[in-house]
Amino acid sequence: MAATEATTIRLQSNDNHVIDVDKAVAERSLLIKNMLEDLGDAAVSETIPIPNVTEPVLRKVIEWCEHHRGDPPATNEEESDTRKRTTEIEEWDQKFMQVDQEMLFEIILASNYLDIKPLLDVGCKTVANMIKGKSPEEIRKTFNITNDFTPEEEEQIRRENEWAEDR
Amino acid sequence: MSNYKRASQPGRSSILSTLQATTMLDTKPVLPAEILVSILDFLPVSDQISFAKTSRRMKEMVYDDTRWVSRLRSMGCWDEAEARRRFEEAIKRKREAAERANAAAAGVTPFSRQADYTIRRRTGGGATKKLAEEAAKAPEIRNSQEDPSTILDIYKNVRSIRGYARQEYGKIYGALAPFYYDLAQAKSHTEPAVFKAFRDPEKQAQMLRNLQRFFQNDWAQGWNERGETLTNMCNIFENAVLREFEQGYESWDVDGRMQRYAHVLHDLNGGNAAMDVFVSKHPILNNRDALGNPMDCINQAPEGGITLEPSRAFFKALAIKINEQSAVISQIFPDAETVFWSLLDKIREDIIGEYVTPILDESHDRNLEAYLKAASGLFEQCMAFVGSLDPPSKSKESLETHAKDFGLKTFDPHLDLYFREELDFFKEYAEREVLNWEQKLSEQDASVESFYMGSFNRRADKNDFLSSFKKVVMMPVTVLPTIPISSPFGSSKSTAAAANGGTVRPDSIMGMPVASSVHHPRAALMANRLEGIKSLFSIEVALDLVHNAKEGLGRVAVFIRLGGQAGEEAREQCEAIFITLLKVLGQNHVKNGFVKAVEHLSKYKAREVSDHDQAGVAPLVTFIELVNVGDLISQMIDVFYEQQLAAPKISDRNDFLDPAGLAKKKWEQMLDESVAAGLNKGIDVLMDEVEYICATTQLPTDYNPPPASLEKGSQQDGDMGPTQTAIRVRDLVASHTNMLVGSTEKTMLDVFNGEVGLRLFTAICKHLKRQRVSTEGAIKLIADMTLYFEYIRGLKNQDLLAYFKALRELSQIYLIDAKHAKEMATVIADGDRFGGIFRAEEVYEYAERRADWYQVKRNVERAMYGMDCSLM
Repeated sequence: MAATEATTIRLQSNDNHVIDVDKAVAERSLLIKNMLEDLGDAAVSETIPIPNVTEPVLRKVIEWCEHHRGDPPATNEEESDTRKRTTEIEEWDQKFMQVDQEMLFEIILASNYLDIKPLLDVGCKTVANMIKGKSPEEIRKTFNITNDFTPEEEEQIRRENEWAEDR
Repeated sequence: MSNYKRASQPGRSSILSTLQATTMLDTKPVLPAEILVSILDFLPVSDQISFAKTSRRMKEMVYDDTRWVSRLRSMGCWDEAEARRRFEEAIKRKREAAERANAAAAGVTPFSRQADYTIRRRTGGGATKKLAEEAAKAPEIRNSQEDPSTILDIYKNVRSIRGYARQEYGKIYGALAPFYYDLAQAKSHTEPAVFKAFRDPEKQAQMLRNLQRFFQNDWAQGWNERGETLTNMCNIFENAVLREFEQGYESWDVDGRMQRYAHVLHDLNGGNAAMDVFVSKHPILNNRDALGNPMDCINQAPEGGITLEPSRAFFKALAIKINEQSAVISQIFPDAETVFWSLLDKIREDIIGEYVTPILDESHDRNLEAYLKAASGLFEQCMAFVGSLDPPSKSKESLETHAKDFGLKTFDPHLDLYFREELDFFKEYAEREVLNWEQKLSEQDASVESFYMGSFNRRADKNDFLSSFKKVVMMPVTVLPTIPISSPFGSSKSTAAAANGGTVRPDSIMGMPVASSVHHPRAALMANRLEGIKSLFSIEVALDLVHNAKEGLGRVAVFIRLGGQAGEEAREQCEAIFITLLKVLGQNHVKNGFVKAVEHLSKYKAREVSDHDQAGVAPLVTFIELVNVGDLISQMIDVFYEQQLAAPKISDRNDFLDPAGLAKKKWEQMLDESVAAGLNKGIDVLMDEVEYICATTQLPTDYNPPPASLEKGSQQDGDMGPTQTAIRVRDLVASHTNMLVGSTEKTMLDVFNGEVGLRLFTAICKHLKRQRVSTEGAIKLIADMTLYFEYIRGLKNQDLLAYFKALRELSQIYLIDAKHAKEMATVIADGDRFGGIFRAEEVYEYAERRADWYQVKRNVERAMYGMDCSLM
């Protein structure tokens, strides 16, 4: 792998734009990385289609990957229980995520598809910050959720969670 | 109940389908469920609840029990075992309910069962009701929050129930979150509501601790700022309390402020700060000089020695002081034991270390033996000191482990040096002793004039000696000065030796034996009796060395109880001392002695020695005495091994790789080999002597008395018994074989006796062939042969007996009158008569020794071969 460090590979978005990326950058995506490993050198010369992602989103994702190319690889262990899963977002990422909600969701979906865990986390954190302090109605709007509670149910759930209401 | 069921099997597919349905309505991208879940994870609790209120799917997602279990777990208040127990109980109840239903359906319930069932239903019903109550508690949280004491103990009341984690979490959150967020926003330490709601420091501390615990489950954005604020608040609070504590400390207000604030600090964060202050400023550390001056141990002792009396007093005084403190500590601190041991740790560093190190350093510079005694003695005192302590909580085991730890830490810097010096000291001493003795020996040439143990009842003496030795060995090594004795091989001797520069000390070998100290009068007595045996090696030297080894071993063995690596090292050191003992004693002392003895033996020429009147061959006797002494030493070593190494488990008797065991085996082997080599030589020498006696003392007339005229004279003696020569030979051989009885192994003795017998037989045969025997002399000859035969019979060796039986039979051919040549021929040809020992030709040869052979020869031959010899 060290020998092919400088090689570039071509990615094709679903609207048929071709983007050249450094292999090291593209390998931030575990999906692409595993694919390249499976296919070997043959894949390097081929154009890799990314069917689920549009060009602007793909460029955005690649921008993130470029910036984070030097990051240490994410540990595989699921640290869901520990507080290690900090919600802090570093400054560059915060700026990077200053996009409209649609784009934000697209980035999250793309990073989920491409298996870029750190980017996915950043996206989720951003969304979490977005809806912090919002009312249930506002949340519904954000996520496009329809309210299917009966008024009784709504009352019950409110009672059940009184403890969490005011800080 | 319904809640629980749904939580355990979340309906994920329904979520997805709904999401798909919504996509149809809108073009906005919609996040899949797993992404929503991870977004939820990043949300603060209150927002999660808002999320739950948006729709049923979201509610299920938020209500998912694992989410809340993990939060409870992060605060350390989820007990999986408890949860499982509750869960299993619930399952059991359910199953019982199902069984009951079945039983009722079957309709075959006898009366007794009916009753049983009713009872069970009652209890079952009660349990169900309890569960319901538990579930119903959740809404009551608001009420409980009003009561401050509930908030303080909030963590104690948390239960681990599957399916109710959210409710339990809710209680904690409801109680603590308001204070937590309030404190997180506070700018100064006067603001937070915690300090307003709770006025006394005890409760404030408890609350702060609760909040710190609560902080563990806050991982929403901004947690580290909140955490910092919380930590700052805690620090401010802690410092304030600590100041109070210190003020109390300065005025020694044990029951008042000290106790109170120590408890507050303990509630806050375990009270380490208070402990540190208490330990580091403890008054006991300041007046350490009052406890004693380490130099007393050296200065009060005689020149070059050491006395541990002052150090004992020191440790005693210290123990009393610390035990006083122990009471004080348990008054002040809730976690008294930790404080106590940490204080002790400090004392060890500052007081004991300062006391012990100068003693050891100084004594090491002055006198090695004093150093060795000081190290071991101080260690034992130190252990006894810890043992005499009275820690706040009385757990024997912890005292023991602490004592080990304590001893190890105190003596750790000294151990290596000590072990090395101990071994070197012993080695040097042993080698010097042996060398001295050898020098002395070479001056006196002790092998020429010796007294022998032969006059004693050997076996009884040895047993006597060994039993007294055993007693001596079993006596504990007293390194502590509580019994005021000077060590038996005390410093005076070693210094004397050093002063003399290795010259022979005239009193040590001939005079009162070194071993004769107060310890062991019996051993001394025995040594006195044995002292005459100035052989080539000395039992006395061996005794001395063994005692020294025992001392060193005893000193080192004290350290074994440390356990762990140091203990193991000490054990190895013990073995090393034992091995050194064997090596010096074996290689340098005993083996040399044997080599010399064998040398003497091989130089012995029977013909060159003028004096043959004494009962034995001098070098052989010396040698056999050596065997005896060697055996005694060996048994001594064996006892020593059993008592000092095997019994206290220093060395494993069954471990064939154990170095001490190996060394012992090697020693025994060496002894056996030396004995065997010497005996071999000894037999040669013995036979030389036998032949010499035969050749020089046997008169030609013994077996061939002058005929008729003089015959009367000899008859007048009435001497029908054996000749003088035979008696002397018999006595000579018998005395030597007897000497070995009881000192060598039975098998070796048998081999030796067999060899001696065979060689004796050969010698006699040879001798016989040189004699001329007349019919009259035959009586004497038969008497001689019977004498040998009787002696050999005493050895109880059947094979050997056959030879001498044949010899006895053989001697009868001389008795046959010349007229009966025919019978003579029959006897000669009768192989069975001699048990196969002699062939006919050989018997014929003996027959030739008849005085009248030339007269009977013709007749005999004719009888034998049935014709005249034509050639004759």
